[in-house]
Amino acid sequence: MSLDVARLWNDFPDLLPKPLSRARGATAFRLKLPSFPWGRDFAWAELVLPYGFPDRAVAKIMLSPDAVLRIPHVEDSGALCIEGDPGPGFGYSANDRALLLLLAYQEKFLEPWLAGDLDGDFSTEPLNYWYIKVAQARSHTDPVRAMWVIDECPTRPQVREGLLVLPSRIVIAGDWDMPLTGRTINSLGAARASQQIRVLIADIPLSHPLTPATWPRTVADLDQLLNGRLRPAQRASFRHPLRRRGGSVHRIVLLRHSTCAFAYLLPGGPATVIELERGKKTYPPLSAPLPLRVHRLDPAWTVGRDQHPEVAHRQTQHVLVLGAGALGSPVVEHLAKAGVGYITLVDGDNLAPANIGRHLLGADTIGQDKAEAVARQVNAAQPASHVTPMVMSAGKWLDNNTLAGVDLVLDLTGEPDVRWQVEQARRLHPCPLLIGWMEPYVAAAHVCSLPFDTLWLQGNEDLMGKLGAVDWPDDVIRQEPGCSSRFQSYTAVAAAYAVAMVAENALKMVDGALPGPRLISWVRGQHYLNAQRSDLTLRDWAIPAAPHDGLMIERSFP
Amino acid sequence: MPPSKNANLVLNAERNRRVRLVEAVASLSKGIALESYHDQVQALGPWARELNYVNQHITVPQDQIDNAAKAYHSVARRLVSELKWPDDAIKVLPQGSASTQTLIRSPDRSKFDVDAVCQVDLNRIAARDPIAFFDEVGKALEPLEPTRKNRCWNVDFTGDPFYLEFTPSVPLDTVPTVVREAVARRYIPVEQYRSTALAVVDNRTRQWKTSNPEGMTKWVNDIAQRQLIRFVALEAATALNKSLSIEPVPDQEVEITDTLKVAIRLFKRHRDMCVYRQKIDKEFKPISIIIVTLLTSCYAGLADLGRTYGHPIELLADLADLLPGMVVKLNGKYRVDNPTVEGENFAERWNMDEGERYEAFETWCDILAADMRTILAATDPPEIRERVRSVFGCGANNSGSGGSGNLQPMRRPPSPPPKTTGLA
Repeated sequence: MSLDVARLWNDFPDLLPKPLSRARGATAFRLKLPSFPWGRDFAWAELVLPYGFPDRAVAKIMLSPDAVLRIPHVEDSGALCIEGDPGPGFGYSANDRALLLLLAYQEKFLEPWLAGDLDGDFSTEPLNYWYIKVAQARSHTDPVRAMWVIDECPTRPQVREGLLVLPSRIVIAGDWDMPLTGRTINSLGAARASQQIRVLIADIPLSHPLTPATWPRTVADLDQLLNGRLRPAQRASFRHPLRRRGGSVHRIVLLRHSTCAFAYLLPGGPATVIELERGKKTYPPLSAPLPLRVHRLDPAWTVGRDQHPEVAHRQTQHVLVLGAGALGSPVVEHLAKAGVGYITLVDGDNLAPANIGRHLLGADTIGQDKAEAVARQVNAAQPASHVTPMVMSAGKWLDNNTLAGVDLVLDLTGEPDVRWQVEQARRLHPCPLLIGWMEPYVAAAHVCSLPFDTLWLQGNEDLMGKLGAVDWPDDVIRQEPGCSSRFQSYTAVAAAYAVAMVAENALKMVDGALPGPRLISWVRGQHYLNAQRSDLTLRDWAIPAAPHDGLMIERSFP
Repeated sequence: MPPSKNANLVLNAERNRRVRLVEAVASLSKGIALESYHDQVQALGPWARELNYVNQHITVPQDQIDNAAKAYHSVARRLVSELKWPDDAIKVLPQGSASTQTLIRSPDRSKFDVDAVCQVDLNRIAARDPIAFFDEVGKALEPLEPTRKNRCWNVDFTGDPFYLEFTPSVPLDTVPTVVREAVARRYIPVEQYRSTALAVVDNRTRQWKTSNPEGMTKWVNDIAQRQLIRFVALEAATALNKSLSIEPVPDQEVEITDTLKVAIRLFKRHRDMCVYRQKIDKEFKPISIIIVTLLTSCYAGLADLGRTYGHPIELLADLADLLPGMVVKLNGKYRVDNPTVEGENFAERWNMDEGERYEAFETWCDILAADMRTILAATDPPEIRERVRSVFGCGANNSGSGGSGNLQPMRRPPSPPPKTTGLA
């Protein structure tokens, strides 16, 4: 069903019916423009029907390039960002779809624009416009490609150092005194971060985000802003930085709002050396300020999307995780993703081929120490957290260390000896403890969270066996063929429920949201048990789970 | 006769001025062989026209002002009925910019404040203790969910573009004598404005404090009426405005020939644009009462010295020049005296913030002077228009539709169903 242009023109007389050819097989029709008041003009507007319209493409309105960054809702390409053509699949004819778009252009864009009703709209999505500005200014010889900020917006302007990381040409707004700087550089990897160069940053808080109507456009604008926002001593140190080895220093103006950030690399920095296929080439310093895209890598954003104020507290916390197995390794990853600042991971094993189906690690780390490899992987992926690996058994670590400085212990080893040693260590340094374990097939999993003053071993009796959901036949524990190692049968999918339960409760303890002792169990229903073996039954306390796929049951700590 | 205090301030500011914008204006008018004042007015016409445009652009629409007035009258009626006060014991008046025609629109979509002072005759009501009196007013306003501020209750009228800042006060003379003397020891009402002096509640000290918003309004209005534009030029400027077919202005608008008020409005707008463009910190921006006081003192000083100007643009340029020099520094402390309450220093906080506010004021003055230079350096009318509107943030015309072509009823297909946002 193709477009009937004559009929569309009849319905919308401002459409000029002469078709024009556009790139990639598109057809365009110019639109009559009104007489514009001062400052509201643009050169042309077109209805564009891309190749494939109406079956596989939607019609759009394009405005002339002079509208970009001057009129809200106009994309870099000149496309007007309004909902108009509903697209195929809603039962509209091609003419009706084009007409809906033209009406939307008229009523949602042109008339409000002429009346001044869209004037504040830049501020509704300021970063979109900034990215257009950055894209327009970008070249392959730019000394800096982007900026990463790793802390929260300051309350007062400050002049600080940062690092230009080469060859990736990313500026990290932090110095070596900030742990996150090193971690972030580590995340970039050696190939992208082989060299770091000191830069100077004027880090200025904004009371509201910048828009095309307010952002600095010239060096003079930036000078005025720096004059107004920096104290005299700050101005002096930013304008005339002390050079350690002579030569000039890159200077960046970083303008930060609590939700978004903008930056300019100032002209006058050192020349840029770029490695090309045929060797290095040097490019002269900038002659105009270069707008930069700023990515937030501060934990409040990467971890909590600014919705979780508890992240700030988590950043200060130190969690000791005993066991880097199928439970411990993904739990560590979750804690890191949740912003726990410091994790010590203790495990003396190395990764076997049989582990990779249910462990965080994969075949690329077979034969490596689990603790080391997990730490390496998590540290590279999650700079908000730092995992320190300890390649030794939990027992040995507890022999050699105390719990001083530890805010929470996770015992995920399932080993009675470790539980006993943890008990002794907690008597010396009372510390909250979470014990997490899984039953065979992950037919049940349990989390026992104990505040610092509650001990696990009461009267020397280890409760773990009594707390289980199923009386397990002896042969449920399998032996690896040809060796003495034994294992439980379960899949990573089944274990994911246990991982989530342990991680969630561990985070509640980190956040101080679990004041008293608590025992929570994830219990699968009878149907699940039957699918594993025909002779499994739930203990009395767990029977409520029987008719369900699974049930979370909370019991009081005995 | 020795020069007045304001004249001395101006003389001092003239000695210390760093730029001389007026010379730029003079050179502009000299560039044309001027036969008469009328020629001069014509030469400066494009600037006047554009600044007049800005002045209109920043005016708060009359319907919003009317709604704000209705709001504070309804608040007053609520107090009378809730607190069982006699009808004639309370008087509500606009104060601050609302009463001096210097209320302006904000550059963004934020609300504007309308200040109203509610005067209560203390002899007619039971209250004596200042905090009890303040709390009683707050309690009566409770359904409006007011926010307590140091001297007023802030009421946010949902759906309206303004906040109401409602200041409970009592005429100073109705405060018990003992209390009045204690208050007046530090803040003495200036005799000339004695009749309108009030006592407002200072929540920080939990005491009465002298204030005189009505006196302040009278001071600004009286001084604004003094004429610094030479009469012939004034006539010509008025004629020019007529010949330019400037749209009739609502009553609350101010003509460019009312130069003091125009200066207050334009300079406040310039300050707001500096904040909007992040060139000065919002927290440290020069507050409006300081801008009003400095400009009005400067205007008064110029009048006392017998200075006259050929065109409002010249006067605006001179006011921008002299503004930074009007701040007094005595014994290491910055002073901007309240002209109606002796001893009250509007710039008191400038002396307690390690210079942040004073530096912001200086920066703003520098930018203002630089922007005025940029504007006056333009040569042809389109360039002047571009620069003036850019500096004052009037990027596009708000005067309504320019005629969008086909407004005939059109065939309209049924609207598509609303799109739902999926989560990834």
